[in-house]
Amino acid sequence: MPAKKSSTLKNAFPIILLTIVVTVCVSILTFVDSLTRDKISAQEDEAVKALLSEMFPGMSHFEYQDEIYTIYADGDQIGYAFLAVGNGYGGDINILVGLEDETTIKGITIASQSETPGLGTRIAEPAFTDQFAGLAISDVSLSRDGGQIDAITSSTISSSAVVEAVSQTAMEKVKQLKENQ
Amino acid sequence: MGNGKFAKEFAKGIILANPVFVLALGLCPTLAISTSIDNALGMTLAVLIVLLGSNIIIALIRNFVPNITRIPIFIVIIATLVTVVNLIFHAYLPATYEALGIFLPLIVVNCIILGRAEAFASKNPVASSIADALGITVGFMLALLMISFIRQVLGTGGLSVFGHDLFTLPGLRDHPIAIFILPYGAFLVIGLLMGLFRRTGVMKNE
Repeated sequence: MPAKKSSTLKNAFPIILLTIVVTVCVSILTFVDSLTRDKISAQEDEAVKALLSEMFPGMSHFEYQDEIYTIYADGDQIGYAFLAVGNGYGGDINILVGLEDETTIKGITIASQSETPGLGTRIAEPAFTDQFAGLAISDVSLSRDGGQIDAITSSTISSSAVVEAVSQTAMEKVKQLKENQ
Repeated sequence: MGNGKFAKEFAKGIILANPVFVLALGLCPTLAISTSIDNALGMTLAVLIVLLGSNIIIALIRNFVPNITRIPIFIVIIATLVTVVNLIFHAYLPATYEALGIFLPLIVVNCIILGRAEAFASKNPVASSIADALGITVGFMLALLMISFIRQVLGTGGLSVFGHDLFTLPGLRDHPIAIFILPYGAFLVIGLLMGLFRRTGVMKNE
């Protein structure tokens, strides 16, 4: 900055400069946000749709209401799906749970998780998730607790987080479905 | 600036001023994401964009910025770059975005970025600052790859990169040494590597 300037201007300069920098940065962010917003929300919709149609292969479309996806195949209702959140070892585990009807699990998919790589992350592998397919909701608990699900070796916290989230949320959602009828 | 100086500023980041092993900067993301080669490469890409951007911008404006607002201005610029990278990764590289999780936005407070802005870009012309950013990023990448390789192989019993299984070690696959994949395994690996590099004289304290 030039040395000889009136002292007011000199004192104000840092404030003015910071204001300009912040204004420019905010404009850039607004611009980038407007460029990427549609792409990001389309991506999230796509991700949900891909997960649902993988779980319900015959799906033609779905409706989303009160946090429950109702799945249709050409007019016939073929099931429900909803999100369950488990309290994992490394944070929230988001699980997409599909129901065949009001008593039976269609399947589960781990939508996102931040478990320990190589250990807890194995909850997302079919070897674990496939165990849920076709189970009665009441049978969803770990085998050491008398249920039908084998926990992953050395990842008991992650395994039981998934099991608890699936069984509790499934019971809540079934109750909610029955009330709505 | 001659090629010699550019090369010198570039090369120094790799060994003499390696951000992880010598400067011990950016250890938080290094510890957290060095569990797989995929994460290491994703993090390197994010750091490359942010560090290159911030070094260039800060070198350009270095003569106008009064000392008193230096840090706030640097932080605003860095935070803007990180948010832009965050949005772009979310939109175009969703898998990497998921894998890096919270450590992508946390690049804002990664001391490598502000450290280079303060120690280098605010005192040097644009060309040297570009060389500095590239060198430091390569140094960061090599460190991350080295740590991730050791942790992934020992901790999961094999190596897979972007879904391709490169190799598996039969004995380790069934009984991986889980400690290496856990956070304290990162301290162990970084500490041992630092010690090794010092002992063999490859790297020295600054």
